[in-house]
Amino acid sequence: MNPLDVVDDSTHYHSRGTVSVPNLLTIIIDTNPRAWAALANVLPLSQAIATIFVYANSHLAFSDDHHVALLASHCNRAVWLYPEPPTPTKPPSEDVEMGDAGSGKPSQPAPSANKFHQFAKLEASVLRSVRSLIDNTTAADVASTTTTQIPGALTLALAFINKMHLAVMGGSGRRGISPPPDTEPAHKNHRRSRIAVRARILIISVSDSSAEQYIPTMNAVFAAAHSEIPIDTLSLRGSPTFLQQASHITRGNFINVLEPRGLLQYLMVGCASAGLTPDPNDNTASGNRARMKLGKQTPVPPQGGDGGDPLFAPRAESVDFRAACFCHGSVIDTGFVCSICLSIFCDIPDGGVCRTCGTKLALGNYGARPAVSAAAKGKEVQAEG
Amino acid sequence: MADSDGEYVEDMSDDDLVGHGVSQTVQSDYGTRSKAGRGAKRAGDGRLKPKSRWEDLRRSWEDVVETADGTLTIGELLEAEKRRRLLRDTTPLQRGIIRHLMLVLDMSFAMSEKDLLPSRYRLMLDYAVDFVREYYEQNPISQMGIVAMQDGIAVRISDISGDPVEHIEKLREWKEQQEPKGNPSLQNALEMCRASLFHAPSHGTREVLIIFGALLSNDPGDIDDTISSLIKDRIRVSVIGLSAQVAICAELCTRTNAGETSRYTIAMHEQHFRELFLAATMPPIARSAEQTRPSLLMMGFPSRMVTSADKMSLCACHHRPTREGYACTRCRTKVCRLPAECPVCSLTLVLSTHLARSYHHLFPLQTWVEVSWADAKSTACFACQAVFPKPPKSKTILLKGKGKQQAGGKPPPVEAKGASESGRYACQTCGSHFCIDCDIYCHQTVHNCPGCQGGSGGGETSGGHTNGVAMEIDS
Ligand SMILES: [Zn+2]
Ligand SMILES: [Zn+2]
Ligand SMILES: [Zn+2]
Ligand SMILES: [Zn+2]
Ligand SMILES: [Zn+2]
Ligand SMILES: [Zn+2]
Repeated sequence: MNPLDVVDDSTHYHSRGTVSVPNLLTIIIDTNPRAWAALANVLPLSQAIATIFVYANSHLAFSDDHHVALLASHCNRAVWLYPEPPTPTKPPSEDVEMGDAGSGKPSQPAPSANKFHQFAKLEASVLRSVRSLIDNTTAADVASTTTTQIPGALTLALAFINKMHLAVMGGSGRRGISPPPDTEPAHKNHRRSRIAVRARILIISVSDSSAEQYIPTMNAVFAAAHSEIPIDTLSLRGSPTFLQQASHITRGNFINVLEPRGLLQYLMVGCASAGLTPDPNDNTASGNRARMKLGKQTPVPPQGGDGGDPLFAPRAESVDFRAACFCHGSVIDTGFVCSICLSIFCDIPDGGVCRTCGTKLALGNYGARPAVSAAAKGKEVQAEG
Repeated sequence: MADSDGEYVEDMSDDDLVGHGVSQTVQSDYGTRSKAGRGAKRAGDGRLKPKSRWEDLRRSWEDVVETADGTLTIGELLEAEKRRRLLRDTTPLQRGIIRHLMLVLDMSFAMSEKDLLPSRYRLMLDYAVDFVREYYEQNPISQMGIVAMQDGIAVRISDISGDPVEHIEKLREWKEQQEPKGNPSLQNALEMCRASLFHAPSHGTREVLIIFGALLSNDPGDIDDTISSLIKDRIRVSVIGLSAQVAICAELCTRTNAGETSRYTIAMHEQHFRELFLAATMPPIARSAEQTRPSLLMMGFPSRMVTSADKMSLCACHHRPTREGYACTRCRTKVCRLPAECPVCSLTLVLSTHLARSYHHLFPLQTWVEVSWADAKSTACFACQAVFPKPPKSKTILLKGKGKQQAGGKPPPVEAKGASESGRYACQTCGSHFCIDCDIYCHQTVHNCPGCQGGSGGGETSGGHTNGVAMEIDS
């Protein structure tokens, strides 16, 4: 793995002299109007966005290799805020503009001399996008749903990160003769590949998780875990159970914000530890040390910190992994699972027929097992007490 | 000159259509030789006739095509190739999600051959580690064990268990400390697997996957008897051969898989070997009149708990002091990692996320279809915002687009066949357009459609204003 490969492949990331890995921070803002209305007295959306700008700018300011992307997870759709989707009127340029897309907007106001160009661009783009998002939200849209499109936003973010990864690796289809026998799906060979992009996803959440989004959310979360992309969650309101699990599985941070007015502090202290601090070992793109080492086979409980980060992020003390039964949606800790479709039930279905797939299931004698002798029982109770 | 080259590309994709209609196998073929390879297979009427490696020279210059505007490109061919791997049947089939698999590794003299680099043996062990990881990622509530064939006997590498770390450690040890030697014995290995799988519960699958490099088997008795007892014990066997086809392996696979011949494959080169190997991590399709007995399983879903440092306790599974753990929901015994069986009351303990990991097998993401130039109105990929190529203005292409529209008609029972001429791929549910990279990523890794999840079209909540939102922003 020659570090120079990375430089060669990433000409449009201006890596001046130093060899470093692009660092992409993707922020997903949950813009659910109901939730923000409820928060309006404490932290209006406009103020939250201003705060997020400060955080995003601090990330950008760190180095030329730091990029940000912003998405809105609205009540009925997920939308890119930055980089903005290219307009149909603009002649599409040949190259994929990753972190810098959205440049050269004709409607852009004259750049202020007092502001770093990147910051101004980000700000203008996000404000314009958010405004149009709000303007395009009808009362019917808000009335139709109480939740937010987190799975969609996550999927978009992952696709974007994947594209950036491919661009840096030079594996993207538009490059010439690169695919040797090793062009198999990124998902199969990633373990052997070095980390070409250090990516994180930060979700500013204000809504509850909704049960029907469980499968798509989890699909996205597993993909993130697979690509070693941590998902940090900052929960301002509500109980995003799935995101709590997401952060645990991807080894991100889950922070329950008790005081929304302190958002900036939560962002800077809670989420900066891994996102902003340069990793002294990883700057050389030697890639031997992926941000998160091995141990990914199963979601093993993290061993406290990632080893390389100077700051130890707060860890959720306990994670709720109880399941919701498919029949009533009630949360259970012991349940019955169909071996065919893995549906979870809180009791034995009538006649042993699975309520989801209709398979006739053989029943066991649940719980009738260990025939504990009286003596052993007494001992057990003693031991417990 | 330029025109004829264009046609060549056309032919290529048509051929793909035929190929996929006929056989949607897991195997893949590469580049120019793919046509020939498939042809041979078809001619052989289901029998595998892999070509030797030397017949399959890849001449990269043959892939180069001159486009209408005179630039050389192999992009389209590459896209077609990527897509070919992606296309598979997406009808939701019943799969054996809870699996019990024995991996049998050939460690006989034949494995010291260097036709696969660095050597068959080392390559196999490297891929075996990848296989173990991928297996547990795809099948978190499944079990596996590993057996080696060496010196005419079967040697146990690791016991059947649900812990990938243990398997990987053992494989690493073997790679460092052992050399391939002696003859392999299929019968001994199969008997050992049969014994290991004997206690596997009836609701799960019982599988054996054999990596077989040799062309012989040194058996103490009649292997036909073993095959019969394998069938009786409803164990299905797959074999990946590394050198050439062996009649007994073909028979073994066919008979234990109810006549299905596709379970015996021969790896043609390193990449192909890896692909075949990892393809076995996909849960097998459950056959009718099944081997597995569906049952209702009782499971506990414990929550993670962390105690303070001064209240550490031992876990019941490894007897190691830990702070974090999961308490069995029935007897409150502490186990340190999941999935596990409670060491005390033997309740199966899983996280709900372990079950969720398998849901994408049960609800696969639909294949996306090619978009002709006529329909290519989108400017950028819905997911990653990569800009699409603009529709060409030239007459020939417009005609082509028209012809397709007439032939295919508007409603989209379009069959996905290969590379899209416009570089766009459309989800038929939400109508969003995606680039090839996102197509592959979404189907192989995420299993979500960004459009459908992002509330684009299709969904009942938002009718048409999908990409419209993005476009209105700038107007
Ligand atoms: Zn229920
Ligand atoms: Zn079922
Ligand atoms: Zn333990
Ligand atoms: Zn127990
Ligand atoms: Zn894309
Ligand atoms: Zn879709």
